[in-house]
Amino acid sequence: MDTTLLVQALVSGVLAAGLYALVSVGLALAIGVIGIVNFAHGEFFMVGAFLAYQLFVTFGIDPVWSLFIVAPALFALGAIIYTSTIRFVLKAPELNQMLLTFGIGIILQNLALLIWGGDPRTIAGITYRGIGYQIGGVSIGLVPLASFVVSLVLVLGLYWMLARTPLGRAMRAVAQNRTGAALVGLEVNRVYLVAFALSALLAGIGGVMIAVIQSPTPVVGFAFTLKAFAIVVVAGLGNIRGILFAALFVAVAESLVATLVPNGDTLRNAVFFAIIFAVLIRRSWRTA
Amino acid sequence: MSASTRTRRTRPAQFPWDLVGLVLLAVAVAFAPDLLKALFGRASVSYLSIATNALSLSILALSWDVLARTGQLSLAHAAFYGAGAYTTALLARHADVPLWIGIPLGGLAAVVFALLLGAATLRLRGIYFAIATLSAAEVLKAVVHHLPTGIAGGNAGMNVPTLFRPEFIAGQMERWEVAFLRNEAYFYVYATLLCMTVLASILVQRSRLKHAFTAIRTNEEVAGVMGVRPARLKLLAFVLSSVFVGMLGGVEAHRVGSVLPEQSFSVSTTVLALVTPIFGGLYTTLGPIVGALGLSSVQEGLRRVFSDGYLIGYGVVLVLSILFMPRGVVGLVGGLLRRRGKREAGR
Amino acid sequence: MSDILRVTGLVKHFGGLAAVDGVSFAVEANQIFAIIGPNGAGKTTTLDLVSGLLTPTAGRIEVLGSDVSAATPAQRCHAGLGRAFQVVQPFPEMTLRENVLVGALFGTPGRTRADAERRADAALELSGLAALADVDAEDLTLMQEKRLEIARALATEPSVLLLDEVMAGLRPAEARDAVALVKRVRDSGVTIVFIEHVMPVVRDLADRVLVMDHGKVVVEGSYAEVTQDARVIEAYLGKEEVA
Repeated sequence: MDTTLLVQALVSGVLAAGLYALVSVGLALAIGVIGIVNFAHGEFFMVGAFLAYQLFVTFGIDPVWSLFIVAPALFALGAIIYTSTIRFVLKAPELNQMLLTFGIGIILQNLALLIWGGDPRTIAGITYRGIGYQIGGVSIGLVPLASFVVSLVLVLGLYWMLARTPLGRAMRAVAQNRTGAALVGLEVNRVYLVAFALSALLAGIGGVMIAVIQSPTPVVGFAFTLKAFAIVVVAGLGNIRGILFAALFVAVAESLVATLVPNGDTLRNAVFFAIIFAVLIRRSWRTA
Repeated sequence: MSASTRTRRTRPAQFPWDLVGLVLLAVAVAFAPDLLKALFGRASVSYLSIATNALSLSILALSWDVLARTGQLSLAHAAFYGAGAYTTALLARHADVPLWIGIPLGGLAAVVFALLLGAATLRLRGIYFAIATLSAAEVLKAVVHHLPTGIAGGNAGMNVPTLFRPEFIAGQMERWEVAFLRNEAYFYVYATLLCMTVLASILVQRSRLKHAFTAIRTNEEVAGVMGVRPARLKLLAFVLSSVFVGMLGGVEAHRVGSVLPEQSFSVSTTVLALVTPIFGGLYTTLGPIVGALGLSSVQEGLRRVFSDGYLIGYGVVLVLSILFMPRGVVGLVGGLLRRRGKREAGR
Repeated sequence: MSDILRVTGLVKHFGGLAAVDGVSFAVEANQIFAIIGPNGAGKTTTLDLVSGLLTPTAGRIEVLGSDVSAATPAQRCHAGLGRAFQVVQPFPEMTLRENVLVGALFGTPGRTRADAERRADAALELSGLAALADVDAEDLTLMQEKRLEIARALATEPSVLLLDEVMAGLRPAEARDAVALVKRVRDSGVTIVFIEHVMPVVRDLADRVLVMDHGKVVVEGSYAEVTQDARVIEAYLGKEEVA
């Protein structure tokens, strides 16, 4: 076995884990704090990607700077969607919530298809995309590295916020006990709104990064919804802290298989889902 | 007073709306093709095709609902469908199996997969169950995708012979009537499959299974302590749910003329299976069918009005329906009727 | 073989913690058998192990002489174990009759529909819920929910009925009704094992009393015997408010 190849696969996996964690942690926030299983989550990611693309095409804004436009825009989008729809189904059955967010996802995805069409869109001519480093035969691209670092900082920042700030404490209080939190005077609805908007913002930032790393199409959102779900589930619902490890586990395994198995690149998704399936089934039969 | 209510509830002397409905459905579909032909002439060819799609969606939705009655929110219906489609296609390609055997065997393949999946996921609930079933479906898709090309055609899939080849008889019919006859034949096959699914659903709702399924859905532990065998019944629901979807996949492979991994195992099949009963009304026989007819009409109407991006409108309909009729069409209508009944009783 | 329920060396570990640690007891037919002890003594865990909701780490459970230690909850129900929960859990989408009917239909295998319906009505009657049979189970008072809990368990036609704190949260008058109900159930030929905190209820009802603390049996005997026991006074009565 070629060790360099193995290390390369490991490194790629770890770098990809950052973005996975960033997208998943937003979803975990929506599920953990609000109790909403958001099937439109990946669409926030997609909207972020295409906003960055459009900002580049129309105004020539570099994706690095468009982060500062996309983030508040997605926060606003999340807030609007929460206020206009989500808040009415907080007590509805899980299935209804799923269908609602599903409908929102369909709307966003097809709006994007109408505007940008189904072809992949590339942000062309960014000089830093080609930059990479060679360390002992292992190559590390600047863009994946930067996206990993930014994602990690954001995820850790979220952890810090949940642990240390009044807003974070409010979110945890609401997550643990909805009626109790209301009794001690927390404005539950406000906390939910911020949590949902924040979750959209995090996904949107991830989208900007994917717009640079890959050439996405508007259907990229749903694929990421599924991946994010898988990671959230592997971490355990409501376990926001576990996301980082679950994302690492899943991304590294995915990357290893894509590298080591012949024809592995197309098997990527299968491996991803096989891991999730195995983890869930194993966990369910182990605990009595 | 209490004695009279008891006898009313205990004796199943209520009017059998469900069975009468099934007969009406059978009669309606029996005459539908001729009616469409008489009304629309040539255009009936495509209307018949649209109607067949609606029947297909009804089968899918009702099957999903039967499984959901036990609280198992499956995201694996694309896999049942795909297993049926590929089995039927493989048998037709490699063994020249007659279609009337190939299609039931497609259903059987779906059942086998469903039983394996159901047994593995017995301990999972809610969203965990949903994600596990989705994952299993994706894995099956990848496996089929990576079967040697000589067997299942890989990425390019396989061609499947059509079931019906009506002959054009010059002088006795017009050209388009050939297409009509073919579509009509498929329509009847789908209608038969739907009637079988409806009958299965009605039998569940009329038997003690209805109570057992509801009990398992609302509280599996309590159901078990009361003597209900959740494992066995959940697997039974898996069988009932997958067999018709598997056969549907088999029939559809012939109608479409090909199977492809991305098409036969499409996530959108799973999504439609779930969305339609919620729209129509869950845990009933009528709801998923009303949902399928409603959503098919909505989709077709929107497609005609806004050719591009009509799915946006579809999404809007879904969102509005959840916000304004959380218990589905059937729940909404039922609620209105009950309220009116109460008002009249109060008078 | 007059023991209708026999538990031998029952152990349950949660992680490193022994919630139930070597509990043994036997209940004779037509007894009312009380399990008491401070919070966290392992009483509910014991009932969960007996009814099959939890798998024991070690130990043996016999109902009417047959070993059910490895059986599923449904199989144990068919063997003759009924269970009413401390936290009442009706099926909210069903009427009361339908709730009870589930127990009647599935509690004893091979019963016809008409037979099950008669059985369900009898259980509703015995529990004083006949007038509410067609009410949805989500709109009940606490007392009605507790009655429903018992009616459902009775409809399975148990030999032994396990009751978990049926008196908790009831007003004194309601508690008296509940005591009368439990006696009626026993008189209909059902053996009863119940967990209780309210001591006068235990005194009024129990033929035998098992005292648990920290997952172990402290003492077993008649009400008079156990309340005289020094270890009980220390372990349980000493710490808890006794009404």
